[in-house]
Amino acid sequence: MKNNLRRLGYFFISIFLAQMIYLGYINIYMGPALATDPHNRRLAAAEAGIRRGTIYDRNGRILAGDVEEEGIKKRVYPYKDATAQLIGFVSQRYGRTGLESLYDTYLLAMDDGGSVDKVIKHLLNRPVYGYDVYLTLDADLQKKAVSLLGGRRGAVVAIDPATGAILVLASTPGYDPNKIDQVVGKNTEKYELNGKQSERQVDITYFDHIAKDTENSPLLDRASFGAYPPGSTFKLITAAGILSQDAGAVKDIYNCTGSITVDGFVLKDNKVHGQVDFNDALAQSCNSAFAHYGLILGEEGIRLSSRSFGFVTGAQKDFESEPESVKYDRFKEERLKYIRYRPGMLPEGHLTETEIASTAIGQGRILVSPMQMALVVAGIANKGAVMTPYLLTGVKTAKGAVKERNSPALLHTAMTPAIAAQITTAMQEAVTRGTASAASLAGIPVAGKTGSAQNPGGETHAWFVGFAPAQNPRIAVAVIVENSGAGGREAAPVARAIMAGYLQGR
Amino acid sequence: MEKIGYEQRRMEMKLLIPAAAYLAAGAMAIYLWVLKEPRIIFAGAVVPALAFMLVSLIWQFRGFRGDPFLLPVTALLSYTSLIFLYRLQPAYAYRQFVWLMVGLLMLLLTTRLLTNYRVLAEYKYLIAASGVVILLLPIFFGVEMGGAKSWLDFKLFSLQPSEFVKILVVIFLASFMAENRLALTRGSGTVLGMSLPGPQVWGPLLGMWGIALLLLVFQRDLGTALIYFSTSLAMIYIATARLAYVGFGTAFFLAGAWVAGKMFQHVAARFTIWLDPWSYITGKGYQIAQSLFAISAGGVTGAGLGDGYPKFIPAVHTDFIFSAITEELGLMGGVGIILLYLFFIYRGFRIAISARDDFSALLAGGLTALMGLQSFIIIAGVIKMLPLTGVTLPFVSYGGSSLVANFIILGMLMNISNEAFANEK
Repeated sequence: MKNNLRRLGYFFISIFLAQMIYLGYINIYMGPALATDPHNRRLAAAEAGIRRGTIYDRNGRILAGDVEEEGIKKRVYPYKDATAQLIGFVSQRYGRTGLESLYDTYLLAMDDGGSVDKVIKHLLNRPVYGYDVYLTLDADLQKKAVSLLGGRRGAVVAIDPATGAILVLASTPGYDPNKIDQVVGKNTEKYELNGKQSERQVDITYFDHIAKDTENSPLLDRASFGAYPPGSTFKLITAAGILSQDAGAVKDIYNCTGSITVDGFVLKDNKVHGQVDFNDALAQSCNSAFAHYGLILGEEGIRLSSRSFGFVTGAQKDFESEPESVKYDRFKEERLKYIRYRPGMLPEGHLTETEIASTAIGQGRILVSPMQMALVVAGIANKGAVMTPYLLTGVKTAKGAVKERNSPALLHTAMTPAIAAQITTAMQEAVTRGTASAASLAGIPVAGKTGSAQNPGGETHAWFVGFAPAQNPRIAVAVIVENSGAGGREAAPVARAIMAGYLQGR
Repeated sequence: MEKIGYEQRRMEMKLLIPAAAYLAAGAMAIYLWVLKEPRIIFAGAVVPALAFMLVSLIWQFRGFRGDPFLLPVTALLSYTSLIFLYRLQPAYAYRQFVWLMVGLLMLLLTTRLLTNYRVLAEYKYLIAASGVVILLLPIFFGVEMGGAKSWLDFKLFSLQPSEFVKILVVIFLASFMAENRLALTRGSGTVLGMSLPGPQVWGPLLGMWGIALLLLVFQRDLGTALIYFSTSLAMIYIATARLAYVGFGTAFFLAGAWVAGKMFQHVAARFTIWLDPWSYITGKGYQIAQSLFAISAGGVTGAGLGDGYPKFIPAVHTDFIFSAITEELGLMGGVGIILLYLFFIYRGFRIAISARDDFSALLAGGLTALMGLQSFIIIAGVIKMLPLTGVTLPFVSYGGSSLVANFIILGMLMNISNEAFANEK
């Protein structure tokens, strides 16, 4: 019986040990996610007694900060609509969104060191400061991107291809986060009280107003979560696929007759390109040649190449659902360091020959976000290595002590350096003598690819993706302007101005 | 020659002094940040500290040789309880203070009147019968609180009979198993090479199953049912070392729980919430979600006493007091509390191992298992490791019945160790 007691004792020791480990898991591992959960009332409570941290861009410009006006604390967003969806807002009524929500743990100093500090400050009756957050964003470039889009629906993403640092993450139209709680009008609402019909006036806030604008959806972060057909920009992925399957394909000549017939379906081209090699086909954006490449690659080849760029396979419902509903792991601390975006998505199931051909030229059932396309060109620019996109440079206390520091990380390798160099050459030709000439810069070689994506909404979406300088690239850009027409005419000039602004300070 | 038990009592007193310092530090923090009522806080800290020391002194005077570590551990847990109840809701702290005094008195009475606890074995059937009767009382005269109809209302205070009956159950099982141990271990026949449990096992096992079901069905008290049943399984294991019985009993209980889940909405709801509280966060899952928020808000070092928001958790002073402790004292505080229980259990099993006879070993082992299972089950519940079942955290949660019953258990363990250690020396 003594042995039985001893074994039971060991049993108790092990279950209590397991309990302590589980407690640590909840407390430490799940802690950050739980702390910023919108249902956690501690956030609002903590907010009252603290000066919320400031969010800075790469040049030390303030993107969000607390200011005091006549003794009343107010959160101010100097870049207004230019950073609206990215930075988000803090509102008593509507909660918190964007980075204001994501970085709550930092901005409210909710870690252990912070809480010890808070107790001491509390005792000494001194103001408590949250931590300041530093971003890779270039706020002036972002503002420029927004003004270039000029009120049209669209998005601009710019990345430093060597590190993955995000320079621009702009989405238009935006809204002014400073006004979120303002009352902009009244609405008459009918209600029943004790069987009697009655009416009352209800405030309409600025938030109500913008939330109702379903045509422009200003709350939507198009740059990270927009879901668009990629159009001809997808040819870059087909190109990487065909070159990795057959390096000799570069030399092969294809005779473009202005259309290609697959299984009885006719895929039309923009014009008769005649005898084209790989570089010509990419520079001229020849649909027939790329449909032909797609058929050589086959379904597996296209899926394989897409996957190597981070595309995922989505079910039908993923294509129909709202972009915000893309699932993410709520308990991953990594989400603080890297950003969330909608990955490119290929349809489930078997593709017919016709679907393979149209997918290869970006017209199948593929959906991409501007961020995904920016990563595709960033990968080509960085010799095939796609870096994880990130916004957070670091976190510092109000006194300047470093709390958190971020460093670049490889996301995946999409292709070999040789293939990347080959595609870069073809993309340069697209700018010097092809569809992307509107993106050319004086003195700086630019590599680019346009797209004009057909969609049910009317005019084509204008796409441009590219990078500069073509050798040793410093900036990779993806631009989309919704329903505006041809990519070479509408999107390429926007990208050109962004690259010029970053590289030449103009 | 040194007086009997002098060594133990000197060690006990040595440990009660830092425990009192712990209470003093807590009371000081409460005074500074929570409640500016110096006289009440002073009395609330000094009286319990002196009361615990007085118990030790009385034992020393009587030459009592009981375990020197259990009382200080209990003191630390009780002090934590007082500090956190003052911090959460002073009205509860005042009542808990009174119950603590009653508990210490019961501890003294238990060690005085039941020193010769072996006589209890003689009355095992009377004990079993009275246990069942007491347990049935609330079904006819009881009032419902927090979804469980297990309370007797005496106007001035209310009692939860199941808290006391658990002691009777352990005494009965210890006595029954000690008597039938050999028959139990051997089994009464074999089928396909496996020895079958005879009626000696079936009897108490079925009885316990019946009582557990009774609790479930009539009192809707899933937590207490679980503790009764798992304690009896632990005791069967101590008596027989046969895992087959334990497995069999577990399967039996799970079947009962499954049927209860089918029959009663509130039992099924506990499982749904456990699996995914986030989907029910505005309704049924609110409490457990708030508990997890509180635990994670503490970090490693805690928000500091009085600086967290544990009151966001409904019923934080009873079932969820552990979450409040972890929020304000952090992971270190939470682990500290668990370690205190682990140490209590370690001492309990030490006592059982050094006990002279089967009845004493089974009684000490059973009471220790009871204490361990109860603290494990409620902590696991509030941290979402297991489905939440509303039971008290021994010595810490607000609640008179539970506190007094636990002091009686402590007294029994002290009595058993009093004899066992006399035997060792």
